[in-house]
Amino acid sequence: MGLTIRDLVNEDASLISRRCWSDKDVYALEKRGIFGKSWLFLGHESQIRAPGDFVQAFMCETPIILSRGQDGDIYANINSCSHRGLPVCRADHGNTKRFVCPYHNWSYSVEGNLMTIPQESEVVRKPDKTQLGLKRVPRVESWRGMIFGSFDEAIISLDDYLGDMRFYLDAFFDRFPAGIEFMGAPHRWVINANWKLPVENQLGDVNHGACLHSAIIPAEAQQLIEKLGHSVVTTPGHGATFRLMPENTPVDDVAWGMEAVGAIFGGDEVQNYLREIQAQARERVGDLRARMKGLTYGIYPNLSFLWSNTSFKVSHPRGPGKVEYWSWAVVPADAPDNIKKILRTNYSSFFGPAGILEQEDSEVWAQQFLGSNIDFADDRPYYYGLGLGEEKPHPDMPGLVSVTANEFYARHFFTRWKNDLQAVEGSL
Amino acid sequence: MSTLSVEVSPEQQRQLERFYFHEARLLDNRQYLQWLTLLSEDVRYIIPSRVNVQVNNRARGQEDMISIEHELEGEDSMGCPHREEGYMLLMLRAERAYKINSWSENPPARTRRIVGNIELMAQGSDTLSVLSNFHLYYARPGSDNILYSGQRRDTLLSQTDGFCIVRREVVLDYAAIELPTLGLFF
Repeated sequence: MGLTIRDLVNEDASLISRRCWSDKDVYALEKRGIFGKSWLFLGHESQIRAPGDFVQAFMCETPIILSRGQDGDIYANINSCSHRGLPVCRADHGNTKRFVCPYHNWSYSVEGNLMTIPQESEVVRKPDKTQLGLKRVPRVESWRGMIFGSFDEAIISLDDYLGDMRFYLDAFFDRFPAGIEFMGAPHRWVINANWKLPVENQLGDVNHGACLHSAIIPAEAQQLIEKLGHSVVTTPGHGATFRLMPENTPVDDVAWGMEAVGAIFGGDEVQNYLREIQAQARERVGDLRARMKGLTYGIYPNLSFLWSNTSFKVSHPRGPGKVEYWSWAVVPADAPDNIKKILRTNYSSFFGPAGILEQEDSEVWAQQFLGSNIDFADDRPYYYGLGLGEEKPHPDMPGLVSVTANEFYARHFFTRWKNDLQAVEGSL
Repeated sequence: MSTLSVEVSPEQQRQLERFYFHEARLLDNRQYLQWLTLLSEDVRYIIPSRVNVQVNNRARGQEDMISIEHELEGEDSMGCPHREEGYMLLMLRAERAYKINSWSENPPARTRRIVGNIELMAQGSDTLSVLSNFHLYYARPGSDNILYSGQRRDTLLSQTDGFCIVRREVVLDYAAIELPTLGLFF
């Protein structure tokens, strides 16, 4: 290719080339350098509780079966038959003893081992079935029920990979004695956008709310968000934004979920439930984190957590200009069913394919791809310089911290992105 | 769902069609505030999500094996429907359309819908269960032109001056959503 990666992102990552978003050779490098080398989110343990349970997942464009083996362990295998390559699992989720390829009925155990080759009895030399199982994802690890896989056998542990993001994730997870669970199948939304823009949007872009979403988010609410808002980068590519509420903030103004539609329309029962969770928060996560009211979180490369509307999201690339964007509603695992059903609307009313806010985001993500794919403008890279160098360490919180208008979360993301791509550049 | 619709007089069928064609015209003409007046104030508006399910081996040979109902994560499920809304959220969506900063609908999308297969399935003292199908053509600047396809499962309340919508469940014919938004009024 005519381009080199160093031409696409400048030294301080304040200028980002349009080609980062639209070039097919860049995308091929992303597959190798990022999706082949990172921990990628596969699913949550609440989705595969019983032996034989499975859900489908993706690692970039590669289809994965995430399953609970008969031994109780978690398995991740590529959903492609060793004989002719067809997917052996065609349902989004379920429970099974066998995955059967429809072409010649080769069958696999839920752990991915090849069990039967129907044609084998008619030939003399029997294939070695132990070598013909589904291709296993070489590394699979969990943290707080969140299951990740990596194609890189030598990758650092998931704990180390998440690093100080765990401090911020636990500000949410640890509020709930039984942890969280995912409700149902993901909403899968195909958008004509590059996979990185939904990621960037959920990594720290709080300030577009006052503009793009001004028809929905009241100006006073947005001003309060920006006034109390903090943006943190723990490791380049990982970030969190949240409001840090002042000490002695009334419980209704600090409690998770209280500002969302579930509490607004759900009445006393839901509100009292949320107050009870907040009442335990200081003891469970400490004073500082009990005052955190999260907004957006991002885990490199393509997992997002939207605390304010309680959704996990994965941006699965489908080429430079298309993304399959998955979202799940997330609720406390031990909440009563009727409360879970109300809390899921915190997500679905505002985010996901029907979300009144995300229908605005998805539109600009698609428009940004069109802008990134035009000709005669390569000398006008995108400006990412807002707040350059203004982020600083914080006495009480890990990572670099700044105001939400500082675009350092995106500069750090692209610095890591550049390093990852340069590491494999020239290997195509 | 396997039963014949209720036998209705041509006049009654015509009443239902008149209501639904009026509704369709309001929506395609972007007269959402007038559309709101067709709703009961305690209206429930539901769009279940739809999944590719594993067929139940024990149901083989039976129609139930591939029943649509197994694919829906609706209001009563522990999955997550796309929409579960009452009047307030529907009003928020309707009013949003008339704000100049509703960027994703500015300029607004062009829609044209055909509503058909209107069947009265059950009739109570003043409520009616009505099925209808729709194809909705959707075009907006910078987006592909799209066909929305689905079924509406309505509960209507019969009033002296016509009908109002008490409940609508929209069954969309998509699992992965290759559509710009599900935020429309179907």
